[in-house]
Amino acid sequence: MSVLHDLAVALAALTLAYFAALNLVYLAFTGIAWRDLVRHLRARGHAPDDEVFASPVTPPVSVLVPAYDEAPTIVESVRSLLALRYPQHEVIVVNDGSTDETVERLQEAFDLVPVRKALRTLLPTAPIRGVYVSRRHRNLWVVDKENGGKADALNAAVNASRYPYVCAIDADAILEEDSLLRVARPIIEEPEVVVATGGIVRIANGCTIDGGRVLDVRLPRSRLATLQVLEYFRAFLIGRVGWSRMNALLIISGAFGLFRRSLVETVGGYSRETVGEDMELVVRLHRHLRERDERYRIEFVPDPVCWTEAPETMRQLSRQRRRWQRGLGETLWRHRAVAGNGRYGALGTAAVPYFLLFEFLGPLIELFGLPLILVWWLAGDLSPVFLVGFFVVAMLLGVLLSLAALLLEEHSFRRHRSGREIARLVGFSLVENLGYRQLVAFWRFRAFWDLLRGRSDWGDMRRKGFTTTVEAPLPPG
Amino acid sequence: MLEALGIAALVLGALSTVFLLALVFRRITLAREERRREELEARLQPLALALVDDDDVELPELPPDELAFLAEVIGRYSRRVAGESRARIARYFADTEAYRTEVAALGDRRSWRRATAAYRLGDMACRDAGPPLVERLRDEDGDVRAATARSLGRLGYEEAARPLVLALVHGSVPRAIAFRAVLDLGPAALPYLRLLANDEDDALRAGAVELIGWSGDAGDADLLVAAVGDPSAEVRARAAASLGRLAETEGAAALTEALDDRIYFVRLQAARALGQVGERAAVDRLLLQARDDRFEAARAAAEALSLISPELLLVAAEQPGAGPHLHEAADLLRV
Repeated sequence: MSVLHDLAVALAALTLAYFAALNLVYLAFTGIAWRDLVRHLRARGHAPDDEVFASPVTPPVSVLVPAYDEAPTIVESVRSLLALRYPQHEVIVVNDGSTDETVERLQEAFDLVPVRKALRTLLPTAPIRGVYVSRRHRNLWVVDKENGGKADALNAAVNASRYPYVCAIDADAILEEDSLLRVARPIIEEPEVVVATGGIVRIANGCTIDGGRVLDVRLPRSRLATLQVLEYFRAFLIGRVGWSRMNALLIISGAFGLFRRSLVETVGGYSRETVGEDMELVVRLHRHLRERDERYRIEFVPDPVCWTEAPETMRQLSRQRRRWQRGLGETLWRHRAVAGNGRYGALGTAAVPYFLLFEFLGPLIELFGLPLILVWWLAGDLSPVFLVGFFVVAMLLGVLLSLAALLLEEHSFRRHRSGREIARLVGFSLVENLGYRQLVAFWRFRAFWDLLRGRSDWGDMRRKGFTTTVEAPLPPG
Repeated sequence: MLEALGIAALVLGALSTVFLLALVFRRITLAREERRREELEARLQPLALALVDDDDVELPELPPDELAFLAEVIGRYSRRVAGESRARIARYFADTEAYRTEVAALGDRRSWRRATAAYRLGDMACRDAGPPLVERLRDEDGDVRAATARSLGRLGYEEAARPLVLALVHGSVPRAIAFRAVLDLGPAALPYLRLLANDEDDALRAGAVELIGWSGDAGDADLLVAAVGDPSAEVRARAAASLGRLAETEGAAALTEALDDRIYFVRLQAARALGQVGERAAVDRLLLQARDDRFEAARAAAEALSLISPELLLVAAEQPGAGPHLHEAADLLRV
């Protein structure tokens, strides 16, 4: 009994230390983010977007859009992508074996005609059924293929792309007109060094959207979606800015990321064996480049915006978070050799250990650690004053971090113009620690079960052959 | 331990309150600032426009903050105007405190202030700012160097041609910015670029040859033809691209020969350039390249054929062994 008691006390003490460490990291990142955002905003003042637009050396970009059953929104999305302000870009939509009318809608809207397109075969994909080009927009291509998943569709798009940089975009996301210019800026300025960049993802629920453009930024009516607005502020304005500063950014959101195509091909493209293909690709790029001692940077850029719809029901949100957690687990497992390995610099010594301890194992510790502290208190070894004090401190830290993220947003981009909406966000930052955070931890915890069931999927990375060329067949009819 | 928790709670509570107050304060001050800027913009915009358009405008007495705002508005216009209007802007700023403040700020200890000053001086259009700006091309801060390069280009300060090209090839200023700045200098930079095209340094030659392609003229064809035979593949590729950009038929023979280059990206650029030049004598070699070369080089050859001889392309694409690139180019011709 005494051993059990000692163990419980030790674990509870460990939980306390864990919370302290986690919040210290967050606070440190808040400081870094503040400094970097201020610097970024000042630099933006004397580096206008028009200059990038007008530069003859701005590299052309292939925008890749994997689409599965996107019939209701695909035409609007493609229109907005064609209207992006960028000197030269093409849009490649990959219909990943949709069961709805995705291709038919595109055909009708853009006057598509079949062509025999030369495709690279460096990245294996499910069979291609045909390729179409638009008569009205010669920079719009549609690749129709059998279903193989999002990563497979992205690989097919990379194979079909023409330009040296590829920008992966979710089919239901909306990019602002200048987003591509802005996300490409670090690459344009240092093309030899910067190999990938990602922009900020913001929540479009509640906003007024017309013709594929966000006209008026508003908070979602749904409380669940509003809580996610705060989460996204923290994740992007604090987390990603901080990791980017250390050149140890592990995630470029699949909704909006720009990559050097040749490098994506060299490392074997998107992995088809994980649900976190966006994160896995970024970690693989880091590993590849660090193992070769190459000078490179993978950067987060805070001002190019990609608007996306957040889940508004518990069921949808639960599924999304389980999927994210599973993707995280799969990536960390696949790249476990990096954890704690000094050879990989900040990636091995800081980012991967952080994501392992605080992001991946976080739900376990939150769900088991907190009850253990209660047990410790019930056993009489912990004073009730301490217990209350601990929870008050934990809550205040959560509030402080959310307020810091809000302040950063207010100081930098100020997308929410209404004071009432900011007041609402402040209110949510006070209550999100009372239930929502624990609920998310529970959903993420459930992903462990998914991971255990799907363990046979955790294969090693495949080796790819040299590039060859094939031709897309003409579609039947 | 309890004491530590208590202190932590107090500190966090105090910090949260400070953040909250900062949020409210920021909201209020920004809203006030926005209203004031809107009011100033509406009031001073006609004056700014008049100053840009007309020599005989009498400037009313304005308080220093309004003068600074007026300078900002005029500075914005200066990016969109040229010729006499820009000269008027320069004349206006030459005697202002705003101009003198910005020149002095080039030596500020804060890097962001130096960068802002360098940028604003470009908007103020006074060529007198050229020499102190050239000095800033050696600034320790990258943002300052970049802002300086932009402004030197915008001022059209010919004397900056050499340091700007050096900044471009040595990478001390981001390529896109330095490239643009050199192009903004226009013909003034050409003599220096021509000299650099014969430099011993491969990177310098490559940079110069590329820039000549953007700002040169027919007289540069000989220089570029010679560069297509350069020992450096980078120089050969950029020279080929430049010949294509200048659409110089004089370089067609050298470009056709470059289709046999051992480096694929030289073949790629040569094929593209031949398409731009419209060299019919190269079609057989281009057909071979379109069928058998590496992906990008083959595609460039097929596209060149569609520009030079669409009929021939359509026929060749239907012959056995035509390959996917000829098929694609032919199908795109039909679309």
